[in-house]
Amino acid sequence: MKGRFGRFGGQYVSEVLMHALEELEEAFERIYPTPEFQRELGLLLRDYAGRPTPLYHARGLSELTGCRVYLKREDLVTGGSHKLNNCLGQALLARRMGKTRLITETAAGQHGLATAMAGNVVGMEVEIFMGVKDMERQASNVKRMLLLGAKVTPVSTGSGVLKDAVSDTLREWARCTGTTHYLMGSTVGPHPFPEIVATFQSVIGRELRQQILEREGRLPDAIVACGSGGSNALGAFRAFLQDEGVRLYFVEGGGESLEADNSAAAFRLGRPGVLHGALMQLLQDEHGQVKPSKTRAAGLNYPGRGPELSHLCETGRVKACHAFDREVFEAVRTTCRAEGLLPALETAHALAFLLNHPEEFSRGEVVVVNFSGRGDKDLETLMRYFYGA
Amino acid sequence: MELEKRLEELRRRGEGALMPHVYFGDPSPAFSFRLIRTLAEGGADLLELGIPFSDPIADGPTFIAACERALAAGVTPRGCLEALRRLREEGLHLPVLLTTYYNVILSMGLGKFCAEVRRAGAQGLIVPDLPVEEADELLESARGEGLHLIFQVAPTTSGRRMERIVGKASGFLYVIGVEGVTGAREELEPSTVELMGRVRRLTSLPLLAGFGISRPEHVVSLLRAGADGCVVGSAIARIYSERLEEPEQTLPSISKFVRSLKEATRSPP
Repeated sequence: MKGRFGRFGGQYVSEVLMHALEELEEAFERIYPTPEFQRELGLLLRDYAGRPTPLYHARGLSELTGCRVYLKREDLVTGGSHKLNNCLGQALLARRMGKTRLITETAAGQHGLATAMAGNVVGMEVEIFMGVKDMERQASNVKRMLLLGAKVTPVSTGSGVLKDAVSDTLREWARCTGTTHYLMGSTVGPHPFPEIVATFQSVIGRELRQQILEREGRLPDAIVACGSGGSNALGAFRAFLQDEGVRLYFVEGGGESLEADNSAAAFRLGRPGVLHGALMQLLQDEHGQVKPSKTRAAGLNYPGRGPELSHLCETGRVKACHAFDREVFEAVRTTCRAEGLLPALETAHALAFLLNHPEEFSRGEVVVVNFSGRGDKDLETLMRYFYGA
Repeated sequence: MELEKRLEELRRRGEGALMPHVYFGDPSPAFSFRLIRTLAEGGADLLELGIPFSDPIADGPTFIAACERALAAGVTPRGCLEALRRLREEGLHLPVLLTTYYNVILSMGLGKFCAEVRRAGAQGLIVPDLPVEEADELLESARGEGLHLIFQVAPTTSGRRMERIVGKASGFLYVIGVEGVTGAREELEPSTVELMGRVRRLTSLPLLAGFGISRPEHVVSLLRAGADGCVVGSAIARIYSERLEEPEQTLPSISKFVRSLKEATRSPP
């Protein structure tokens, strides 16, 4: 069925937005395959974003785990995360659709930043909705967005975090679909967003496949990626979905513990439900009210798992896992010391899972971690955690 | 009281229908009971009773706050249905449309939810995040219980979509007059009036206009444009929201406001 991944997905939005979704689907199917679009996007990904990103053989982490660990270096994409891959694609698409303005939401600030950058590349106005709590804990990214000329609008409804910012962006979009494109940052939301975002992010997996074949002469045994909505994970996984020998691990935010209301682990603690336009795995109470998620990583602090990811985990193709906050902070320190690389708190979930679950990985296996972003934005949080200052 | 019969009767009298929309439990269940009685006495013809949801994406600031307060007061979907049952026992005779977001319904189970809604005494459902493409399953459950599933059309709805919607609609069509979310607005947009004409040409179903209506003049203009009635929600919540510590003090103003709207539905075309 159109816009469905198994039973997940769909278009659960106000009638006001249906026209915009139909328009977007039609435009994406028509414009994306054209050589002109592919050429323009390809050049921007190469010359502006810095693709292809390297696949780095991480010797320190390999020694610690006994595996041959590779890092797909999405932290080296301009802006510091994989987010720009999708933003450049959607911004180009929106401009060709005749839109003049981009709106979106952000939690860790990486997607907001990437949207502000892409908006400037294509010459469009940008407005970012951001929860008040997230503006506080990701202040450096807020400053970068402002410097780039984006308008950052604080969201204080609900708990003032990502879920509330998504709701407010959908409300704003309902007011101005004629001029404005909602540049969805993750593989969530109503159809066609999950498909569009996964398509633009799948450049990660295409490069990765070629690179690992060059380095190892074979496919990896496992790929590990963090996420909530799932954009970096699906970006890495999509090229390997048919390769049954490649194990795929998705690591969500375990938060403090799996006790009530201390976690963002929707695969462990949720059940299918509808939020923000799609049926997906969702943290909710027994009455169907959406529960706030909790994790120290703002970018994983979303109660839903995108429809494609929900489906892949339900069928067992992807294994849903989690890492707790304290493991994540340790993984940041371990990676800093072992590799000289500072991962984002989000990315560190994938690293923490690899480091703490030797039962999942045999000695000598080739394991790729999608190193989705760098941790400069988390400096203050890290300082407070490690040094109390 | 049957929904279609009530709308037909109003049409015969040359009167527009007034449908207030309240989120039950804001700021407390006790106040909602008094509010609903006030609305009924003030001339409401139908009632849209909202079950609060944590993430009401089609609602503006007034109703977002209403949902937050109601949930903080411990209101549950079952509590809302129980409240409706009590209102019926106490003699509320208006047709009632229950409105909530799809996840609340999904969570209880479509069949079970519809059965409970009918037992509680409602005549239909309004689900603002359920477009016609996703509605077949709920439509089947609702019809099985003799409930109307009310569909919405908007200024952005294409002709092709509108035909598809009209094909599945029953009871009435909810015409969203503005691009955006719920919330009282000062002026009526010209698109609202234009849209009313466009829908009127496609169907003989009653048309209820909603979103942004806050004054008797709005009601008059919409009825002249071809609407069979109006939905007024945030404009009511806005009145009691200003005195949340003792909202019952605002009931006289709300009563006056509703009477003025009802009066407007009786103005000759």
